[in-house]
Amino acid sequence: MQRYSQDVSDLLVTGPYFYGTEGRDNVSVAVVDENTLHTLKAPWPWKYGDHARILDALLQYKPKAVVIDFLFVDSRSDDTLQNLIDEIGRYRNAHVPIYFEGGIDLPYGENPLRPDLAKTGVPVLDPTIPVNAGVARQYNATGRCFNQKPDAGGACPSLAMRVFRDTYGKKYPLAPVNDMMELVWGTRTAPENHWITRTDANGDQHSCFEEMSLLRRWYLAFFNTSAVKSPCPYTAEFPVDALLLSPDDKDVVKMATNRVIFYGGALQGAQDRTYTPVNDLLPSVFVHAMAMDNLITFHGKPYQNAISLGGKIADGNLVQIVATIPVILILSLIHWRGIRRERRGLRGTQRERSATFEYFFEKTVEKVWHYLAFGLALSVGLVLTRSVGLSVANWVEVVFVSVELAAMLLVGVPDAVWGYLHHVLGGMPLPEPAVSPALETVEERVT
Amino acid sequence: MKLGVGVCAAIAVIALSQTALAAEDCSSSGGDVVLQARTPEVDLFDTPSGKKVLTVEQSKFPACTPITGRAPNFMLQVSVNGGKYWVPPYMVKYRFSGKLPAVCRNLAMGSNDEKVGSTRGLGEGCPKAGGAH
Repeated sequence: MQRYSQDVSDLLVTGPYFYGTEGRDNVSVAVVDENTLHTLKAPWPWKYGDHARILDALLQYKPKAVVIDFLFVDSRSDDTLQNLIDEIGRYRNAHVPIYFEGGIDLPYGENPLRPDLAKTGVPVLDPTIPVNAGVARQYNATGRCFNQKPDAGGACPSLAMRVFRDTYGKKYPLAPVNDMMELVWGTRTAPENHWITRTDANGDQHSCFEEMSLLRRWYLAFFNTSAVKSPCPYTAEFPVDALLLSPDDKDVVKMATNRVIFYGGALQGAQDRTYTPVNDLLPSVFVHAMAMDNLITFHGKPYQNAISLGGKIADGNLVQIVATIPVILILSLIHWRGIRRERRGLRGTQRERSATFEYFFEKTVEKVWHYLAFGLALSVGLVLTRSVGLSVANWVEVVFVSVELAAMLLVGVPDAVWGYLHHVLGGMPLPEPAVSPALETVEERVT
Repeated sequence: MKLGVGVCAAIAVIALSQTALAAEDCSSSGGDVVLQARTPEVDLFDTPSGKKVLTVEQSKFPACTPITGRAPNFMLQVSVNGGKYWVPPYMVKYRFSGKLPAVCRNLAMGSNDEKVGSTRGLGEGCPKAGGAH
């Protein structure tokens, strides 16, 4: 339920309408894809020198930082290795941070990064991506240290956290993140991606920027989810062959200059793709990019599934239950007062009302009741989000649960149980209603 | 007198700028040509996918250098100081007679419903198992 509501929020509410673009304007992905290999007539895997040339081409634009999403674990023989080592030196001289990723769970004790490269002292980060039922909805706060120095608490930040801290830490100090951050996926594709088109299930070609009305989006989300999801990534993307063929292209210049660039692959058979709530399968490099995007957009305070209360970490599920209780208590109080008022009305003077009036009155009360329940749950959720940074996905669930409880109260739990038994037992006649047609519950009739 | 000096100076400036422009677009050189260095340093390689053998400063890279070869990965072959080298295209400004391929992509929606069930290159280079096949 919680993850479903998170997906709904990303796909229908936050993604298309409320997620800011500050991160999108500061993060790009430089990809090596099938077309790149075809255009450059350079079969995979590339030599170290080929990567070095791409990294050098990126450096010319003075990016904010470059993260290499390729693993260099195997010590294969390659006479161009020195070119890559030299390139790391160039980045250091230009004061542009560059990061490599370390291999994890390697079966034969291989080094996370081949020693020749690790010896340069380049930071090696943990590329682990947590998946929930196969979908990337969260992002680790910490990871393996490799060659990083642990923080005071003995932990090392995860990939995106480390890069954010190094590049934006002074502007937006990173808030403590308990366990994991909740990823918010944007759906409005970066305008720089105008060079990408998409083909639908019927084979028709579309732009990545086709607008969908709110109603159509909501309808399709429930009845044809894949039609709402887009293969176009949210993050600005450019193929690395563009760096070689059209380095002065205004879009390439825009995407590569003063941004955090993730340099990764989008290759068939590379086993490096992950499902997202809004795109289905995407190359995993986009997950790191989205985490970085979230950190920038939320100014170092990403949404979380766990919160800190009095220095102790409280799980999101516990928080939801605690948040629901006041809503239920308030609704119960109002309902109870209403029953008491009606009972007093029975004993006192009862005004005569027409059946039509009673019908519309009941319906109006019912609607107000639902909106009241929604409003209360929404308020509690917003307070939790604003004050302690609880993920929207969590309090969306609170809204659902609270409204369901409100509906049960409106119908009356005893009545519902009695009605069910009556139905199951084969039409046992219900007691005749008491004086007022407005009375609905069994307890009221008995009274 | 002053007017005469001014006119002469203007003529000199125009003449110099035209010379500079001519050098920049290398109008005297026919065919494919590297106009000038684009980056602060230009790396020169022994082969199109080979090792870096020399790095030349921007100011020392010769202007209007004819391109004598072009590799499939778009590396350009030029002669520098009597030697033949390959230079990455982003490091220089060049003029081509032909057209460069357009950069565009189409993402198929259908591909999102399936995941590749094999690893790239799986089985390549593995020793063949014995027995009848």
